[in-house]
Amino acid sequence: MELLKRREAWNITYTHALGETASWFYVQIRDNAKIYGRRCGKTGRVLVPPRAFSDQTLEPTTDWVEVGPGGRIETFTIVYEEFQNLPPPPYAFGYVMLDGADTAIGGFFKGVDLTGAAKAAELLKVGTRVTTKFAEQRQGDMLDFWFERA
Amino acid sequence: MTLNRRTAVIGSAIMAPVADEARSLEELLFDVSQAAMKDAGLTADEIDGIVVASNDQFDGRAIAVMAASGSVGGVDRDILSTPSASEHAFVMGVLRVASGQYETHLVVSWSPVEASSLSEAQRLGADPYFHRALPLDELSGAALQASAVLAARPEAADLAKRLSARNRANGKQAYPGVAEEGSGAAATAGRWPIEKDMVSPPVLGAVAMVIASEDCVARRGLDNVAWVRGMGWATEPGFLGDRDLSTAPALEEAARRAYAEAGLSDPRKALDVVELTDVSPYQELLAYDALGLSGKSKWRDDVLSGVFDRGGDLPVNPSGGVAAINPVFCTGLIRIAEAARQVQGKAGRHQIDNARTALGHAASGFAMMYQTVLVLGQNKDGALA
Amino acid sequence: MSAPRVGIIGIGQSAFKARRDDASYPDLVREAVNQALTGAGLGLDDIEAIVYSLSPDAMVGIGNAERLGVDAVGGRNKRFLRINTGGATGISSVAAAYYHIAAGACDVVMTAGADKVGECGDSQTVLNKIWDPTYERPLPLGTITMLAMSGIRYADKYGMTQEDMARVVVKNRRHASLNPNAHLRKEVTVDEVMASRCISWPIKLMDCCPQSSGGGAMVLASEKYIKQNRLDAVWITGVGHCSETYYLGDRMGRGFTADHADAYALRNSFQRAYKMAGITDPRKQVDVAELYAPFSNTEYHSIEAADLADPGGAVAGVNEGRFSIGGQIPVNASGGTLCTNAIAVTAMIRVAEVALQVSGRAGGHQVKGARIGIASGNGGDHQFFGTMVVEA
Repeated sequence: MELLKRREAWNITYTHALGETASWFYVQIRDNAKIYGRRCGKTGRVLVPPRAFSDQTLEPTTDWVEVGPGGRIETFTIVYEEFQNLPPPPYAFGYVMLDGADTAIGGFFKGVDLTGAAKAAELLKVGTRVTTKFAEQRQGDMLDFWFERA
Repeated sequence: MTLNRRTAVIGSAIMAPVADEARSLEELLFDVSQAAMKDAGLTADEIDGIVVASNDQFDGRAIAVMAASGSVGGVDRDILSTPSASEHAFVMGVLRVASGQYETHLVVSWSPVEASSLSEAQRLGADPYFHRALPLDELSGAALQASAVLAARPEAADLAKRLSARNRANGKQAYPGVAEEGSGAAATAGRWPIEKDMVSPPVLGAVAMVIASEDCVARRGLDNVAWVRGMGWATEPGFLGDRDLSTAPALEEAARRAYAEAGLSDPRKALDVVELTDVSPYQELLAYDALGLSGKSKWRDDVLSGVFDRGGDLPVNPSGGVAAINPVFCTGLIRIAEAARQVQGKAGRHQIDNARTALGHAASGFAMMYQTVLVLGQNKDGALA
Repeated sequence: MSAPRVGIIGIGQSAFKARRDDASYPDLVREAVNQALTGAGLGLDDIEAIVYSLSPDAMVGIGNAERLGVDAVGGRNKRFLRINTGGATGISSVAAAYYHIAAGACDVVMTAGADKVGECGDSQTVLNKIWDPTYERPLPLGTITMLAMSGIRYADKYGMTQEDMARVVVKNRRHASLNPNAHLRKEVTVDEVMASRCISWPIKLMDCCPQSSGGGAMVLASEKYIKQNRLDAVWITGVGHCSETYYLGDRMGRGFTADHADAYALRNSFQRAYKMAGITDPRKQVDVAELYAPFSNTEYHSIEAADLADPGGAVAGVNEGRFSIGGQIPVNASGGTLCTNAIAVTAMIRVAEVALQVSGRAGGHQVKGARIGIASGNGGDHQFFGTMVVEA
């Protein structure tokens, strides 16, 4: 019994509108190497990355608040496995609550030797202080910055 | 099938076409959900459950409900998703409220145009085993069905032209300026026998509706709601080749159930207005037959008599239908919303006078595969003629 | 007014494997459907409506693949719709089928689906696309990394070692060795788990669920129908759903509703289901639990969210054997998601397994005397949670 197979690939490109809030956030990163959050009108919680409304209160956010560059690691992981279309391992990334923010933003952690997992994990543990580093050439996206131990 | 308790549409919001790019999709969904709740006079805290519907491939997100959930108020709330069709979200909402375990439901659907090719995205719906190599997108599916209709009834070609013109005129009246832009005929290639000006290019749209139980309506003393008098839904098989495309048995079945629940024996008499999913005018003709509005042999007489025109006895698609504004994935839910607004007297420029009973028909998938029929009325009970 | 009772009268599930080259996707659905119908003693004509269980289309490589499943479920001209809540899809589908009956729309409803995750090429690539393109898509997020980060926070908050995680794997593999439908059935030791390669710290290869292919189906009926036809049934007495914020970073920092270490919305979902079922003391009343946990560390917060242990107490509970077959409240006696994960139906299998347990038909992995069971499903980025209580 000959069993046949067929190969298919999905190939569609999307151009997603980022909206005013996200656009302004990225322009600040690209042009000024600064990160901003938005304050929830009801609770005062500063959301980073910023959104036009809080999904917790369903209220519009109000003003822009500059946050960082210092921050605190809220969680991390170190990837040793290769996945298609994702970066070559090893790499570390996770979430950082920047000073002035109430939520955490995602980003890569660089400048830590990842060869020994347990040792690296100790250096990135929850609560570790980090600082934000910006690329020289910036596009206006999340990869324009990363975090290094402070 | 009489449900355990009655439900009613108490509010809605339609945002289509959405031209500006100042909002991200999530922000648009926030706006349409807030608008529907405002129209219903409810706050988010008073929404017991949510059902959303969208297409992952259109959205460019592998589980579209994820990013949308917060926008529609889904955090710390019970939210489901029915990606099979926008109208299925409405069906699920009605069932959940009728079960007695929810007093209210918010139902939201949307359709973005951010994909490089919606046609390509639709073609992914063809199975890779036998059909993927064919240029089978939804317009092709509709065209195959149209050619079957034409083969069965040659007069359909002229009737289709006439219906197309009527729908465009309705659209211009209902949504001036907006529908006109949408009808950029040059932008949409025809697929024989569907001609270029019979369909509209895809636009960005979103729609949200609020459903409430009869107990909730009574408790709040709401007096302007659209009662769900009958609801039926059914599906055709998946392979086009397994179907006689000149017929619509699933729609006949869906209509039969909806009419039986509504106690409606003569739709031409009982209904005051119809909003149906005119994928193309050929599908509109098929829907006339399957809905019991006009049998195939009567099409010519009925269409030419003007009975289904805006000034006729049973106006069809006073909103202009899909021919006027085409936010592809959520057109079905929009038809239900348009029908509900007619009954509530909230249809604005295209309000039909004395619309007490309306029919909302939604069709989705290749060649109207999924069929859903809603009969909505001003009264919770009582004869519908 | 009280809704009519809804019972489960038929169950079908594949013997899950990595690949099913012998069967197309609709074939797998049909396989499970046949089993469920046979078990219920019904034919396709007896089914009044279908709820189709299918999660990301990209996993099976067909847009709106449920359309191809219509014939596999005998859905021509019948009421048919599809549910997708990510990994929770299976339990949400059972819930949706439940509502058809509770609403009074139908007496007999079937839910069915299948997955071929093993054919997908790379499930983490697809699962990266569930993240929002605005902020998080550029990061190499996937379900493994996301839940590794949950494990990091859980460990920091309550204490948890990789050896602890390994004991969850050992427990579930032992259970799976007793379950002919499970995918990974080979027992392992703590040392073997610890020696498996690190995927995303602290999750190692053996802490991860497999990519499984296979189908699942269940037939539900109204109490009236069950009595009239004198059918065997077990009862769905509690149903709940709840969701968290989509933003992982909002589950950290200050002023959050949910901590990414825990499973806040799962807890809320269980509270709703328990309330409906009249369960006031789960630790005393629940006999068996099938909790959706695709990675070993996630079983802990699931156990705690089900209130089978205090927050932070599940680690000790697992280590003491409380949650093993033979212990007080066996969790994942089937081997759970850790041993079998055909995404579109995994959460349905949780309900199916609990139904088998409380009807005394779980065979080699039967929990003696089980009468009340709970099931859960997780979807999205640990965002959507469905729960159920099933009783004899």
